[in-house]
Amino acid sequence: MRQLPKKGNMNERIDTVLHKFRSRMTSYPPGMCPLTLYRSLLHISMNQSCGKCIPCRDGLHEVDRLLKSIINGEAAPDTLSELEKKCLMIEETSDCAVGASGARLILDSLKDFSDEYESHIKNKRCIENTVQTIPCITLCPAHVDVPGYIAHIKEGHPEDAVKVIRDRNPFPTACAYICEHPCENKCRRSLIDAPINIRGLKKYAVDNVSADSVPTPRRNVSTGKKVAIIGGGPGGLTAAYFLALMGHKADIYEEHEKLGGMLRYGIPEYRLPKEMLDRDIKAILSSGDIEVFTDTKIGRDIPFSKLNSEYDAVYIGIGAQLGNRMPMENHDAEGVIPAADFLQKVARGESTDLSGKKVVIIGGGNVAMDAARTVVRLHAETVHVFTRKRDDYTALESELESAMQEGVRFRTLLSFLHIETNNETGTVQAVWLQPEIVNTYDDFGFVTTEHSSNYPYRFKCDLLILGVGQRSDSEAFSKEGVPVERGRILASEACRVDGMEGVFSGGDCVTGPSTAIRAIAAGQVAAINIDEYLGYHHKIALETDIPPAYPNPCIPTGRAEIEEKDPFERRTNFDFVELPMTYEEAMRESGRCLRCDHYGCGSMEGGRGDK
Amino acid sequence: MITVTINEKICSGAEGSTILEIARANGIYIPTLCFLEGVSDIGSCRMCMVECEGYQMLLAACRTKIKEGMIIRTESEKLSSYRKAMLELILSNHKTECMSCPSNGACELQTLCNRYEVSHGLPYGTRTEMDLKLPILHDHPFISYEPQKCIHCQRCINACHQIACNGTLKSDRLGSFHIVNAPFGKAYKESGCESCGNCVSVCPTGALTLKKENAYRNWEIKRVLSTCPHCATGCQLYLIVKDGKIVNVEAASGPSNQKRLCVKGRSGSIDFVHSKDRLTKPLIKAPSTGAFREVSWKEAISYVAERFMSIKKQFGSEALAGFACSRSANEDIYMVQKMVRTCFGTNNTDNCARVCHSASVTGLARTLGSGAMTNPIGDITTDVDCILLVGSNPEEAHPVVGMQIRKAVKKGTRLIVVDPRDIGLSSLADIHLKLRPGTNVAFANGMMHVMIKEDLIDHDYINEHVEGFSELKALVEKYTPERVAEICHIDPHQLVEAARMYATAGKAPIIYCLGVTEHSTGTEGVMSMSNMAVITGKIGRSGCGVNPLRGQNNVQGACDMGAMPTDYPGYQKVDNEDVRKKFEHAWGVSLNPVPGLKATDVFPAAIEGRIKGLYICGEDPVVSDPDTHHIVKALESLDFLVVQDLFMTKTAEYADVILPGISYAEKEGTFTNTERRVQRIRKAVTLDGDMRPDTDIIIDLMNAMGYKQPYLTPKEIMDEIASVTPSFHGISHERLDRGESLQWPCPDKDHPGTPIMHAGHPARGKALLYPAEFKESQELPDEEYPFILSTGRILYHYNAAAMTKRTPGLMDISGEGFIEVNYKDAERLGIGKGDRITVRSRRGEITATAHVGRKVSEGETWMPFHFPDSPVNILTNAALDEFARIPEYKVCAIQLVPNKHKEVKV
Repeated sequence: MRQLPKKGNMNERIDTVLHKFRSRMTSYPPGMCPLTLYRSLLHISMNQSCGKCIPCRDGLHEVDRLLKSIINGEAAPDTLSELEKKCLMIEETSDCAVGASGARLILDSLKDFSDEYESHIKNKRCIENTVQTIPCITLCPAHVDVPGYIAHIKEGHPEDAVKVIRDRNPFPTACAYICEHPCENKCRRSLIDAPINIRGLKKYAVDNVSADSVPTPRRNVSTGKKVAIIGGGPGGLTAAYFLALMGHKADIYEEHEKLGGMLRYGIPEYRLPKEMLDRDIKAILSSGDIEVFTDTKIGRDIPFSKLNSEYDAVYIGIGAQLGNRMPMENHDAEGVIPAADFLQKVARGESTDLSGKKVVIIGGGNVAMDAARTVVRLHAETVHVFTRKRDDYTALESELESAMQEGVRFRTLLSFLHIETNNETGTVQAVWLQPEIVNTYDDFGFVTTEHSSNYPYRFKCDLLILGVGQRSDSEAFSKEGVPVERGRILASEACRVDGMEGVFSGGDCVTGPSTAIRAIAAGQVAAINIDEYLGYHHKIALETDIPPAYPNPCIPTGRAEIEEKDPFERRTNFDFVELPMTYEEAMRESGRCLRCDHYGCGSMEGGRGDK
Repeated sequence: MITVTINEKICSGAEGSTILEIARANGIYIPTLCFLEGVSDIGSCRMCMVECEGYQMLLAACRTKIKEGMIIRTESEKLSSYRKAMLELILSNHKTECMSCPSNGACELQTLCNRYEVSHGLPYGTRTEMDLKLPILHDHPFISYEPQKCIHCQRCINACHQIACNGTLKSDRLGSFHIVNAPFGKAYKESGCESCGNCVSVCPTGALTLKKENAYRNWEIKRVLSTCPHCATGCQLYLIVKDGKIVNVEAASGPSNQKRLCVKGRSGSIDFVHSKDRLTKPLIKAPSTGAFREVSWKEAISYVAERFMSIKKQFGSEALAGFACSRSANEDIYMVQKMVRTCFGTNNTDNCARVCHSASVTGLARTLGSGAMTNPIGDITTDVDCILLVGSNPEEAHPVVGMQIRKAVKKGTRLIVVDPRDIGLSSLADIHLKLRPGTNVAFANGMMHVMIKEDLIDHDYINEHVEGFSELKALVEKYTPERVAEICHIDPHQLVEAARMYATAGKAPIIYCLGVTEHSTGTEGVMSMSNMAVITGKIGRSGCGVNPLRGQNNVQGACDMGAMPTDYPGYQKVDNEDVRKKFEHAWGVSLNPVPGLKATDVFPAAIEGRIKGLYICGEDPVVSDPDTHHIVKALESLDFLVVQDLFMTKTAEYADVILPGISYAEKEGTFTNTERRVQRIRKAVTLDGDMRPDTDIIIDLMNAMGYKQPYLTPKEIMDEIASVTPSFHGISHERLDRGESLQWPCPDKDHPGTPIMHAGHPARGKALLYPAEFKESQELPDEEYPFILSTGRILYHYNAAAMTKRTPGLMDISGEGFIEVNYKDAERLGIGKGDRITVRSRRGEITATAHVGRKVSEGETWMPFHFPDSPVNILTNAALDEFARIPEYKVCAIQLVPNKHKEVKV
């Protein structure tokens, strides 16, 4: 007699373990020895061995024995070659992928972490990462004291929470609304249930106290030094904020009419209402001696060399605002526009009604999603997003989901062949799409595609938005001697521009298009290093104390998500889409925080991860 | 054909062959350890890995199929070092106490380690510690498993699943380690293990061993190729001989067994040979005391000859009879019938085929012209579409055939089981017709009714090769599925489906056994099987035919050799003038033209006083024939009884003279298996004692009785057989010793034998369709005796158990007589599982342990006939079939008496 699997059979029961396994893996804290991690992976391979073949079932155990001796600092130098030989043997002789991939893992580690291996054998210690650090603080590029401000929220002090955030990041409001929250990725709370909704709590704080009503720290007496900040986006404003608090004079040169950079001209109103952004900017501008020159483009209105000679230091934070176009015929035809340009146009209020228009968007990143959802709100008849591969949907999962809810249509495995324009008007009237099939992975680990045998087809389109990346407007700087490679300014992790005294740079113009919080981190680092460059070590006061930590009962509790409004309502206007967190939600959510600043590694010297 | 390059040599092979196959075919050595042809190609040991251009990984030659243009290297520095590494890894986790290991010298791991100069494993074995804690399993009487020596090649598991097709050895897991779940611990009886030991025979190390293997090392023994002495499958085996004693049995690759053996063959074939209770001296019973005394051969021979001759003188030739033994060699049997015909001067000779397959011999000879299995075992269990298995439980009675049927079913062959019991195979059957015992003829008529009505028959075959179709058609017309269902107690839809399934299958053999023959309508049952095959044209073709599975090792031979009252060797009729003249010429005496008495008629004749003297070679009718009281009465009525045997059997106790013969392991000769395949037995040992080769005893007797019989070796006797038997003309010991495998008819020295009979046309010329009406069995249940009793065999014993009961392990596994009772009947009568109950028929009563369950239907019971504590033939009915005089073992009426009732009575 045949039987269906028994209910509650071992495989099902194991699935619950695997769930725990996954959450363990996601909550692997920063500060691990990579070899111990590899050994865990090796153990997974050993567990997965069915026990049939000798190389896998017995050989992997031998590899484990060698790896363990290396990790424990007991191995001789020739253990490495023994390990490599064994792994090669296992990889080449395994019957299936379990053994071969297990051995391949270790072979990869020998290549990718040869320094770590060497350190274990020679020095009997790890090369770096010797101290584990608090996940949220470490992973926030600006190293905001997350447990600290959550504790304030829990205590009912949102203004103190704002102060704690500002200690590292002067955009508590903007980040509460749009931050990608890498701080949540490895939250230790995953060990119990799910990561804390850190952005949600931050938003609760700034929803309950207007950031511009919270005083910035007392500023230093004036130093008499002057720093030019090129670009009034999140990075430049952050640098200006901290420099001003340190007593320096910061002059901000902004190309646009208003400050905020991409936060204003890239992020649509429904995600970040401009009045909320203005609260942060208002607070920043009130922090010290900051002068703003809007509608002033360096390289057009003022030469860069002039600033460089007139100021004690310069920070270049010009971002990456120029939308890319594809190198193909008709790419600049009427009705074809890069997503960043389109969003800027709308943000400037030049929006047009798209009623009755078929809109096509190429690309699956966050900017493309912003464009798509904006198009929906401009009453377009249809909005289609086409990508070549599923991997091309790099936007946040929540952004994709919201776009789908709002009626954006998605198609994948279509490559973009060419743009068809109307012979008479020259405006776009269709795009041609080539069906693709997936192929092997490339050297970077991305899947490639090739043309399918299915025929290309024509897709009617009145507006074509290209969400295929942005670049910096760096040409003018390059001309004046700033080192630029492939459009990006060359600067170190300390934000010093290579070979230029007193010139600092950071954010998108150095890294390529990225997130606001990374630009903010760069602004912060640059400000501290400019201060140091100018010969100081100014401190910035945190004018609040972190509430004490209490033991957490660790009762598994759901994560309070931020909900959005009815999608059909959302798509009719540019109103902010998220619903606020209630008091009860915020209290429960902040109560889940495990206070890693107090418990565990956070109490150790160097264990906070904020350096 | 696909061409590849191996070590720069261009080799070609058929599509689908593996690198290993093509390399071996071209004489290129690739080491293997876990691989075993036909058993396992899981590629676990990686010893056979080779380099192949275009592949980064190495390929396991045993399981990689060749592709056009492959460029392969089988040897390189890297390969050698990897192979060494594998052996080191294995050795790290292997107990290397080779000195005390029974596989020392036969161990494949040892051989490879020597070849690759690997003397020890790594200092640290990853699973050694765990293995040491796993218990050694040695509760099974024959087999033990030592985990510390297991290299986890899984050959044993594959052998159990793919060769024995039983599947009781399984893979288990302990943490991240594979372990072998071997059923040889305390619960071995409940495991479903058939104890066949095929797993042991494939183990490359000493992890799985037969306990007998501890007695010797590989270099101390010689192997003697022989044939299994149990059932008629004719498995080839090696007798392992050390210092003049047979110490073990190994499977050989015979055509019918393909290296398989069953528990009887592997573990029950030698203990009886060396049994302490073997008869070693001729014995004569003192008429006054009834006690036997040891006598010299001279005295015994002259006494026997004198007594038989005086009976002949006083009462005539017809007062004498002599039975040959279907367990003994063809050469012995030929001499017995020759003695009876030339010295006794009568055709009163027979063998125990009378009580098992005489109905097949008679029935099939009548319908097809030859009374033997039509197709070889391999042919009807490989690549066939459907097997119609009627009244046969091969898993127990012909286990190696059973294994091959299981394999066929596993590979997709449909199986129709027609049997009154839930036999093991019925759980694998597409359809199980659990019919009432004794209703085979009705079943077959019902099948044919459907086939004819739905026009599923082979008109061309019928038109060309068949006679009697219209008579058959008229008769089966009445056997509607509904009527047959009522007679047989089956579902009419299942009958219709079975008919469609069998008739429409391209290749479909009928395989049947004693469930068809052992009835008072046995011959008609056999002819009904033939009828079904004939009207569907399933005769004379591969994968088809009518295939009786013969019982004893040489029951086919016993019939072939003319131990039959109607036939000289090779089914040449005694009442045929030309034939008789030929034999008179060959044997130099005038021969009796009157057909003799059949064995089952000899006993009533003895009671009536018509038979006065009887010579029995190796049979034990007191145990094996129906209605024991009737047999005993017949033996007691004789003036003179001679028994030639290995043991003091129940029958021997009634003898006047007992002559000690020798067993299959002590003599040269041949057995003919159920497929008509003549196979050699060879002398492996000479034992202490005065027992003598049976042919020598018979020749002595013949000479003493006045017939000038020259002393011939078994080889010379076979030459004489060949000279007088057309179907054996081409058969000789020389040809067999050269490795030829011959199935009769083999009409000349260059003939390769005949695997499939009736090819082209039936041997008879045209096949006869015999219309048989269904007749009820002779003794049906009634109010007084309300249950039907059938008898049969179980896996662990053979017939009267003279051989198998002398193997203690077999008795450990199964040593007690039992009766299968339906649970509803048991509940009604208050019989519990394991109760010892009284079983009574009109002829006597015995006790047996009740096995209560669903195996038999309500109102039916079943008993094995092996066990001395439940001698079931005291109960059975000696009702005989009209044609073959075969007794109705399969149906008699009994009553069941729970013991507590009896106690109350007492």
